[in-house]
Parts: sequence; C-alpha cells; structure tokens
Amino acid sequence: MNMNQRRRVVITGIGLTSPLGNSPDEMYEGLKAGKCSIREISEWDVNNMKNNHFFGSPVSLPPDYAKSLPRSVRRSMSSISLYAAYAAQQAVFDSGLALEEVAGGRCGCIVGSTMGGSSAIEEAYRIYISGKGMEEMSSMQFFKCVSHTAAFNVSHLFSVTGVVQSPAAACASAVQAIGQGRDLIANGVQDMVICGGAEELAPEVSGSFEIIFAGVKRSERDPKTCSRPFDAARTGLVCGEGAGIVVLEEYEHAVARGAKIYAEILGYATCGCGNQISQSDHQAILRCFDLVYKDAGVEPSGTDYVNAHATSTVQGDMEEAIAIREFFGGKVPVSSLKGHMGHTLGASGSLELIAALKMMEHSELIPTLNLEKPSEECSGIFHVTERIPHEMKMFLKNSFAFGGINAGLLCAKVE
Amino acid sequence: MTREEIVEAVNATFVEMLEVPEEELKPEKAIFKDLGLDSLDMVDLMIGLQRRFGVSLRQNEEIRKIVTLGDVYDFFVNMEEKMREQGIDTSKGLGAAAREMEKREESSGSTPDKPA
Repeated sequence: MNMNQRRRVVITGIGLTSPLGNSPDEMYEGLKAGKCSIREISEWDVNNMKNNHFFGSPVSLPPDYAKSLPRSVRRSMSSISLYAAYAAQQAVFDSGLALEEVAGGRCGCIVGSTMGGSSAIEEAYRIYISGKGMEEMSSMQFFKCVSHTAAFNVSHLFSVTGVVQSPAAACASAVQAIGQGRDLIANGVQDMVICGGAEELAPEVSGSFEIIFAGVKRSERDPKTCSRPFDAARTGLVCGEGAGIVVLEEYEHAVARGAKIYAEILGYATCGCGNQISQSDHQAILRCFDLVYKDAGVEPSGTDYVNAHATSTVQGDMEEAIAIREFFGGKVPVSSLKGHMGHTLGASGSLELIAALKMMEHSELIPTLNLEKPSEECSGIFHVTERIPHEMKMFLKNSFAFGGINAGLLCAKVE
Repeated sequence: MTREEIVEAVNATFVEMLEVPEEELKPEKAIFKDLGLDSLDMVDLMIGLQRRFGVSLRQNEEIRKIVTLGDVYDFFVNMEEKMREQGIDTSKGLGAAAREMEKREESSGSTPDKPA
C-alpha cells in the first residue's frame, strides 16, 4: 500500500511507569526540574562488586498495584509485565476507549522488550541450580520468563483478540512496537493498537554493558552526574527500567468519537547496520533517517526537534551526532533524556516519545542533563542545554539497538 | 497429624497460595468447577502441598483422582494412616515420616509399600 492509500494513525492515549514517576505528568515534572533518578543499587548482591555497587535507574510502582489485579491475570506477571500492565491501563484509560472495543478484535497489542522477565529467569535458574529439582518450579515460572511475557500479559489483561506481537529488539523494541502498530492500522488490519516497550532493571544486563566497556565508569563517578549524553566527559551508560505505552488509533475512528489526539505518526522506519552488532554506525543511522522521511513523505527541514537515543556511550553518541549533523545540520534542536533517567532499554523509545509529546504540548524543550561541554565529535549540532520555550509541530524519535538495529518515528501535531 | 491438622494445613495452602477465600473452602466443593481453579493452578497447588507437608507428590498417581476439596483432605489422611499402619511415627509431620520410610527401604533393600 503506498503512502497515499495508507490510513492516518494518531496517538490518543499515553501511560507509563518511569524512574521519574508513574504518570506522564509526573515524569515530565521531574524532567522539567532537572531531576536524575540514577542511584547506587545496593540491593544487588553481586559478589565481586561489594564495594562498588552498580548504578541503576529503578521505578517504584504503587505498592498496592499488583494486588489490585485479579490473581488469574497477575499470576503470570513478573515485574516487567506489572510495569507494562500499569502503563497500559493508564494509556487505555487516557484514551477513553471502551474496554469492549479494546477486546473487540479490531484492537491489537504490541509490547517489546530486551529480556522478557529478567527476574523470573534468574529465579528459574536459582531453582534449577539449587539441586532441589524442577519440582519446585511454579507452573507460572516459564510464563513470567518468556520474551513476550509483557505482550501476552497486557493482551490478557484487556482480553485482546486482535493482533498480539512482541518485538525483541533491545533498545529499539518500543519504537519498533509503535511502528508495527502504526503499520497494522495504516494497512487496515487493526483500528487501534496498544503498543510500546518495557524493561526490568537486571544485574546481568547492567553487567553485560560493563563487560564490553559500554557501562559508566562507576569508580570515577557520582550517580547523579554520570550519565551525560554527548558530553566530553562521558564514560558510558547506566541502565534503567520502566514501561511506556501509547494507544494508536485510526484517525477517522479517533475523530468520530471525539478523542483527544496527541500527535499523528507521519513516518516510521527501521533498518539494520548490516556489519556491526555492538556499535552504532552513522551511515546506517542516516539510512534510517532517510527511510523515515521518505515513509512520511515530508522534508526533514520541517523538523522542530530530535529526541536523541544518545545513551552516554563514547561511540554511540558520536555516531548519532555525526548522522544528525549530516542530515539536519546545526539548526534542529537535539536533546537526550538519558542523563535524567538512564537508559531504560526496551522502554526507552516509548518513555522518551511520551516525554517529547509533553514537550510539544507545552511548547518547550527539555535539555540533555549533565551536558556541560559536547565532545568535539558531537559538536556542530544544536544541543539543548537548558529548558527553552519552543513551538513544535514535528519531531523525530530515534532508537538504536545492539544487533545494529536502527529505528525512528516521526510525529506531528494534528492541526 | 490429626484430621483437623491436615484440614487446616490444606486450607491454608489454598488461601495463601491460590487466594481462595476461606469461606469458600467446603469439602464438597469441586476444585475446578466450584473453586475456580484451572490446570495450571493445580500444578501450583501440588507444589504448595509438597512444601506444606514435606512430601513429593508429582509421581503420585492417586493425586490425579482428586475432584473435591474433601478428596484432598482424604488423600493426606489416607497417607498418614498407611504410614502409621507400617509403624512409622507421623507425630513430627508427614515429611519426616516419608523420610523415615525411605531410610527403612534403603536399609532393607525392599520395594516399599508406599502410601497411595
């Protein structure tokens, strides 16, 4: 189906749990105030790190949330699914869609993540290695572990009988989920999709970044200033967790019921690097940008803001900056929110997209926290370093993932 | 263990593990039909009962015949009775009694007359 035959797709509901709060407004207030949610995770008992705890950016769901869900739904949920369920309930409520319509077969559910249920996987292996045998394993253990656990649990919660998918694309999972939702609606397969990404903070994931020297140098850093995208003093990323969910809807369907519309998804694209599994590549990022704008059928010159992926890694931020400089020049303002919240991995694309929607709503830009002096290779782009008023009609959300996966969403106000 | 102690332990498993309200726990209630549990819950019920009583149940054929809550009570009551008939002390719980039985089997080298 070409662009002219495609149905228009809009965002009509948003919901989240983030390290800065459990609603879009709460998260946005934290971003506006320049708060940083990164701290030492002393709860992790990692033997060789006793005097040097991992940093992380955790969420804190309301303590009574899990029990508010019926056991029949809750029993297969580890933390990642609780996060996704919380965000999805908020988003669906925000959209005003009737639950009967969500369950009616024309609504899908697409939730992606890097790991599935990290804590459940760890628990399963603890039982297995303990020698007590598999007899101690709950019937629900596997359901909590699997890579699509968040997707099926959210779909179960809402009795979704439409399309259920689960992109497992690490940091690009959420953008891919939203992009896939866009495609389903644009092509007439669905009229609504609940979509986004989720992730649990896990020591093996944080450790894995450190092993390949992509994690922040904790011994030299304070948690509150260690995540500094694009900055000359950046040393690496800090992992976080959370869930961000948006409700996508076919435009006419949304207008007919008087829905509040946050933005339209004008363009979506995703592509691989083809030659790298661990490092970003500005050529591939440029290719992704080009595909996004071609998909949208608009010129890049109308872009008012780029919400960067930039995770505070030396290499990744550089490649993204090079690509932004080459594609947009130095005129389009750019910021990354990972200085505030760390890298929420599978949730990052949707959490940061929601933040950008709030920026557009409030006509202002949130700066990159801890960006004091861009490194030379990251210079030449318009870095937002303080909160500024800014009228926005169109913005780009970037996400780049291990495995060489690039993804982008172009969103615009509906006039 | 007395029948009352067994009933109390079984009921506690249903309440704590499966969140079945205590007032629903009547012996005549069918586990699937009346208490609203499904086959996955049965697996977790079995794990809960294993932990509560300290006995292994997964290979036990009799447990698959259970239909009502009363059948669950009777299953453990029967287990306890058969152990006592074989001269095993059950006053310290079924788990300790089951381990005692295993020791006797190992020392005698005979095929055990295991409780159903």
